[in-house]
Amino acid sequence: MEAGLNGQKKGCLYLLKMIHNKYILFAFRVVVGGVFIWAGFIKISDPLGFTQSIIYYRVFPPGMSFFLALVLPWIEIICGFFLIFGILRQASSFLLSCLLVLFIVLIAVTILREIDIDCGCFGSLSQKVDYKIILTDSILLFFSLNIFFQKRVTQ
Amino acid sequence: MKKIIQQIVLIFVLSSMMGIGVNFSLIKKYINGEFRQSFLSPEQYPSITFITLGEAEELFTKGEALFIDSRNREAFHAGHIMGAKNIPFEENKEGSALNLSAIPFSKTLVVYCDGDECQSSVELAKFLHEQDFEGIKVFFGGWAEWAKEGLPVSSEDDS
Repeated sequence: MEAGLNGQKKGCLYLLKMIHNKYILFAFRVVVGGVFIWAGFIKISDPLGFTQSIIYYRVFPPGMSFFLALVLPWIEIICGFFLIFGILRQASSFLLSCLLVLFIVLIAVTILREIDIDCGCFGSLSQKVDYKIILTDSILLFFSLNIFFQKRVTQ
Repeated sequence: MKKIIQQIVLIFVLSSMMGIGVNFSLIKKYINGEFRQSFLSPEQYPSITFITLGEAEELFTKGEALFIDSRNREAFHAGHIMGAKNIPFEENKEGSALNLSAIPFSKTLVVYCDGDECQSSVELAKFLHEQDFEGIKVFFGGWAEWAKEGLPVSSEDDS
């Protein structure tokens, strides 16, 4: 029994070491950073449309939604660039992870409340809120968390 | 951990500066109340939804919706989405002189204006909602997005 547990532990550590290979982590940074830069730039071009998308989640009041619509895309773009170029890597990956958790919770709540809206994730290219978006965001969150914990594991 | 928090604050400040700086004129307009009314409360207007270019194109291709152009007559005659009807809400914001008899109650309505910062499509959508029309969709990208994509347009008076 103990031998089995030790085997599992070793397997997990091996997997972690494999993921924390510097090339794989760089690929994670490019993917997460690239997606957020793209999403941010699309939203910047239509702040009013994005405001309305936020309002339709029925969580934030209009004034707050307007402020979020102006600032959130820039957080995405700045963190995306920082992540790719390795500047303030931990802070950027932490912020993007928090955003992804927020998006997942928001989308799950929207599905449970049976509100039929566009996710607003990619401006006019957005798709309807559904479980596929939760899956995509979860994959990005996995990448982002690995980037955040990179230093601690490799140390 | 303290270092990370400081860096997060720095990113927040940078993003806020960029967001406010780039949209300064928009913020001024918002403070003056110029387009605040354009944001719809889903509770107050349950039958109005916003659609993207892809959804507008799908409704157009399937012939499932009637497109309504809320721009003024001049802009409409210069070019509009093929088959669209002109309800020039820009010229008559009270809606009293608008002829709504040609609009069927049974069909989905897609309302649009120039795109970008125009508000007449949202205003018209609200007006139509008050007249008991249902299934109203606002195509925010409007004429600018539709024409840019090279989708079917017309300059004939088919309203």
